[in-house]
Amino acid sequence: MSTQKKDNPLGLLQGTLDLLILQTLLFGRAHGHAIARSIELRSEEVLRVGHGSLYPALQRLLKLKLIATDDGISENNRKARFYRLTEKGRKALSAETSKWQRLSEAIARILTPAAPETH
Amino acid sequence: MKFWNSRQERLQEEIQSHIELETEENLRSGMSPEDARRAAQKRFGNALLAIERSREIWGVLWLEHLLQDLRFALRSLRKSPGYAAAVILTLALGFGSVATILAIVDSVLLRPVAIPHPDQLVLLYIADRTGVRGELTESEIQDLQRESRLFAAVAGFDTSVKPVGTSSGTRWANVVEVTPGFFHMLDVRAAIGSLPDANATAPVALISHDFWQERLGSDRHVIGSLIHLDGEARTVIGVLPRGVSVLSGTGGPFVYTPLTLSSQQAGMTPSGAFVMARIRTGVSIPQALAEARSIFAHSSPQDVTAHRDLAMDTYTGYLTGSLRKPLLVMLGGVLILLLIAFANAANLQIARAMERMTEMHVRSALGASFGRLLQQLLMESVVISLLSGALGCALACVSTSIIRTAYGTQYSRFREIAVHPIVFGAISLLALVTGILASLAPALSIRRGRRAAAAAPFATPRMRISGILVMLQIALSCVLLATAGLFARTFRALEQIPLGFDPHDLTNLVLMPVDSKESPILILQTNARLLERFQSLPGVESAALQSSAPFSVYPPVLTCWTDVSGRPFRKGDSAIYSFVSSDFVRASGIHLLHGRAFTTQDETSPNMVALVNQAFVNEFLPGRNPLGISVRFHREPQPPRPSGLPLDILGILEPEPDVPLKPSFSIVGVIQNELQRSDLGAPFEPMIYLDYQQIPKDSTLLGIMLPVSPFVIRSSLPPVVLDQELRTVLKQVASDMAEMQLATMEDKIAQALGERNLALRLVSSFGAMALLLAAVGIYGMLAYAVTLRRREIGIRMTLGSSRSGVTGLILAQAGWLIFAGVVPGLAAALVAGHAVRSFLFGVQPLDPASLAAAVALLLLAGMVAAVFPAWRAARVDPMEVLRTE
Repeated sequence: MSTQKKDNPLGLLQGTLDLLILQTLLFGRAHGHAIARSIELRSEEVLRVGHGSLYPALQRLLKLKLIATDDGISENNRKARFYRLTEKGRKALSAETSKWQRLSEAIARILTPAAPETH
Repeated sequence: MKFWNSRQERLQEEIQSHIELETEENLRSGMSPEDARRAAQKRFGNALLAIERSREIWGVLWLEHLLQDLRFALRSLRKSPGYAAAVILTLALGFGSVATILAIVDSVLLRPVAIPHPDQLVLLYIADRTGVRGELTESEIQDLQRESRLFAAVAGFDTSVKPVGTSSGTRWANVVEVTPGFFHMLDVRAAIGSLPDANATAPVALISHDFWQERLGSDRHVIGSLIHLDGEARTVIGVLPRGVSVLSGTGGPFVYTPLTLSSQQAGMTPSGAFVMARIRTGVSIPQALAEARSIFAHSSPQDVTAHRDLAMDTYTGYLTGSLRKPLLVMLGGVLILLLIAFANAANLQIARAMERMTEMHVRSALGASFGRLLQQLLMESVVISLLSGALGCALACVSTSIIRTAYGTQYSRFREIAVHPIVFGAISLLALVTGILASLAPALSIRRGRRAAAAAPFATPRMRISGILVMLQIALSCVLLATAGLFARTFRALEQIPLGFDPHDLTNLVLMPVDSKESPILILQTNARLLERFQSLPGVESAALQSSAPFSVYPPVLTCWTDVSGRPFRKGDSAIYSFVSSDFVRASGIHLLHGRAFTTQDETSPNMVALVNQAFVNEFLPGRNPLGISVRFHREPQPPRPSGLPLDILGILEPEPDVPLKPSFSIVGVIQNELQRSDLGAPFEPMIYLDYQQIPKDSTLLGIMLPVSPFVIRSSLPPVVLDQELRTVLKQVASDMAEMQLATMEDKIAQALGERNLALRLVSSFGAMALLLAAVGIYGMLAYAVTLRRREIGIRMTLGSSRSGVTGLILAQAGWLIFAGVVPGLAAALVAGHAVRSFLFGVQPLDPASLAAAVALLLLAGMVAAVFPAWRAARVDPMEVLRTE
C-alpha cells in the first residue's frame, strides 16, 4: 500500500534535490554514494540528504533522460553504477541554475533589512 | 515482468553496495562493525521506501496494485459466499434479461438482410383508405423507369401463393413474378446457375435456397430440371444464395419467374405490378418519394376519379415494421428490470461496506488514502459485475434457445435469434459501467461513515441512500407490474371478442387448382361435388364454401364501391364482398339476425339475393328495414359518354365493361358481424354475401374469386380423423386441386392470439422478477436496518416499549418505504401505460384495476419481506444490547 503524501519538513524539496544532483554530476560521473557525500561536503554539512531519498530522485532524473548510467568499478573495487550528465541534463541544469539564482536574489532582497537611513 | 524484476534487483544491489560503502567508511573512522553497519543503515533511511518510491516513478505500481486488488477481491468474495451469491444472482437476472432482449433486437431488427445495402431499397404502392396496397399500372412503372434520376433501378413484381409441382410432389410455394431488372436492382447473383436473361422467352424459373433444399433435396444437378407451375413446365436455371428471399426477409420456398407487364392476362385489373426500387446513394427517402410522386402525377392523368396516392415504404421497414415497436418496448421493460437489480446490488454492497467499516478504519490508519480504498471497492464491484454479466450471458443463451424452439415455427424471423458477439460486448460494457456506479454508493457511505463515526459514534447511521434505492426499486416494480396488468387485460379482452361465428368443431380447408389456368366453371363443378361428398361424410354436420372465411389468408379480398337503393352514392361507400355456398350460415355457425339464409332454390332463381352483416346495416341502412332493399356494385359513369345519363346506367371504375356484375341483388337476410381475416380487434367492416351459384357462369368475377376455394366444415369428429377423411375425398373427387391449408378454427385463433400471448408472457415474467427483486430489496434493507438499530431498539425496550411496539416500528418503516415508492411508481406507471397504448385493447392506460393490483402485490410482497426482520427486532434482548456497549 502506498503511503499518504506527507511532506517531510526536514528534507529537501524534491526539485532542489534534483538540481543538486545534476550540479554534482557536472564535475564528472559518480556513483550514488559519492553523490550523496559530495552534496553534504560541498554544502558544508548544512544539507543532509537522506540517502534513501537520493535513489528515487536518481530514477526520476533517469526517466527524464537528464542523466544516464554506466556500470563500473568503485574505489573499493566493487561493482557500482555510475551516473553521468547528458546533454539534455546539461542544458536543463543551466536553465534551472539561473532560475534559482534569480529566485534567491529576489528573496534575499526582501529579507535583507533596508539600508540604514542616512538622514 | 522479467525486465522489471531485474530493474528492481539492480536497484536493490545498488542500495546494498551504497550501504556497504558507508559501512566501510564508518569502520575506517573507528566504529565497531555493528555500529558501523547500524549507523550506515540509519543514515540511509528507509531502503524499502526508497525502492517503493522508485517503483512508483517507474510507473508499474498501478498495475501491481490492480492485481493486488483483484486477488484481494476474489479472496474476500470467497470468504462471504452468501453475499457474493446474492449480488451475482441478482445482477445476473438483470443482465440475462437485457442480454436476451438485446439478442432478439439484434437478430430480428438489426441483422442485415442478405442483400447489399438494404437501406436503399424501397417499395412503392398505391395507398387506399382501407390500407390495402394497390399495384401501379404498366405505364406508370415504365414512366418511373424512364424518367427517374434519383432511383438507381426500378423493378416490378407480383406475388402469389400457388401450387408448384416438383419431383417430390405438388405443394404450395411463394411465386414471385419479377420484371427483368429485378435481380440487377437487388445486386445479388445466383449461387448456382444464372439469373434469367432479360430477353428470354422460354419459360424459366429461379428458385430460393430453401426451395432447393426442401423440395428438390439439394440436388446438385438442379439446373435444367423442370418444375410445374400454372399448368406449364418451367426450367430451373438458377438457385439464389442462402438467406436471399425477397419479401420475406428470411427463408421459405420461393420461385421467381419472369414478368413482362404487357403479357399479363387481361383480367379485372389492368396489368400492373408492385414496385421495388433502389435509391441512389446519397438520396434521402423524402426526396425520392417527391420525385416519384411528381413523375406519377403526370403519368396517369386520365384517372381523375380514382384516388391514387403513391406511397413508399423502406424494404427493411416493411420486413420488420410490425416488430420494431414491440421489441423496443420490451427493451425498455428489461432495462427497468436491470435498474431494479442494480439497486439491489448497490444496497447489498452498501450493507457490506458498512460491515467492513472497522476494516476500512484500520486501513486508513495504516496509511491508505481514500483513493486507494475506493480503488479496492471499485475492483470488487467490477469483478462482481463482470461475473454477473458472464452468468447473465449464459442465461441469455439458454433463454434465446428456448424462445427459438418455442416460437421459431410461428414467427420465421425468430428462427434466427442467437446471441452474437455484439451482445456479449454490450453486456460487458454495461457490467463495467454498473460495477463502477455501484461502488460509488458504498464509497460515499464509507466517506460519510468515517466522518460520522468521529462525530456521533453511537447514533444510528442514516440510511438515506439505501432508502432511496429501495424506493426506486418499488417505483419501477410498480411500473412493470401495472404494465403487465394492462397486457393481461388486453389478452383477456381479445380472447373474449365476439367472433360472430362458432369456432368449435369448425375446420378450414383451402384448395387451389394445380393448374391455375383451369376454367372457373370446372372449378365450380369440382367444388359442388366436393361439397356434396363432404356433407355426406359420416360425422360431418355441414360444409360450405366461404371466400371470406376467417383466418384463411389465401383468398383475395374483394372491396367494391356499392350502390344502395334509396341512398345517394357517396365516394368511399364500399363493402367487402364474400362469395359463399348455400349452406354457409349453417356450416359456419354464424347467427342469422333477420330474414333468411340462402337456400338451394336461390341457386336456380333468376332473382339475385344477398346477405348482409350488421355493420352494413349500421352504416348504410340505419333505421330502415334492410330486407328487400336492393344493392348493386357501383359503376362510375365513363367520362367519354355524354352527360345527362340516368343514374341506373352502370359504369365501373375499371376499364373492363362486364365486371363487376350489372344486376342488382336484394337483401334477404342480415347476419351477425364476423371476424375478418386474422385481425382480432379490428373493427367490423360492412359485408355483402353472394351465392356462388347465382353468379353468371361467364363472369370474370368467378375467375378472380374461384381459384382459391376455402371450405368450412363443421364436424364433431376429432381433427385427425376428419383431416384423413377430407383428404381421402380430395384424392377421389378432386385430384386436380392442391391442399393449401387445413386447420381447425380453434388452432387458428390460438395462433392469432399467439403474438399477444408471447408479449404477455414476457411482460409478466418481467413483472414477476421485478416483484421478487423488490421484495428481496425490501427484506435486505429492513434486515440491515434492524442490525443498525439494535441499540436503539434495546433502549426503547428498556424505556418501556413492548415487543409488538418494536415490531410495529419495523413494519411501519416497511409501510413508509412502500408508500414512498408507490406514489412515484403510479405516476410512472401511467406514463408507461400511455406509451404502450397502441398495444392495448379493451382497456385504457389509466386502468384502476391494474394499478390497484400492482399496489396490492407490492404491499403484500413488502409485508412478507418485513415479517422476518420485524420478528428479529422483537427478539432483541435489551440486556444483551446494553451490555455490549
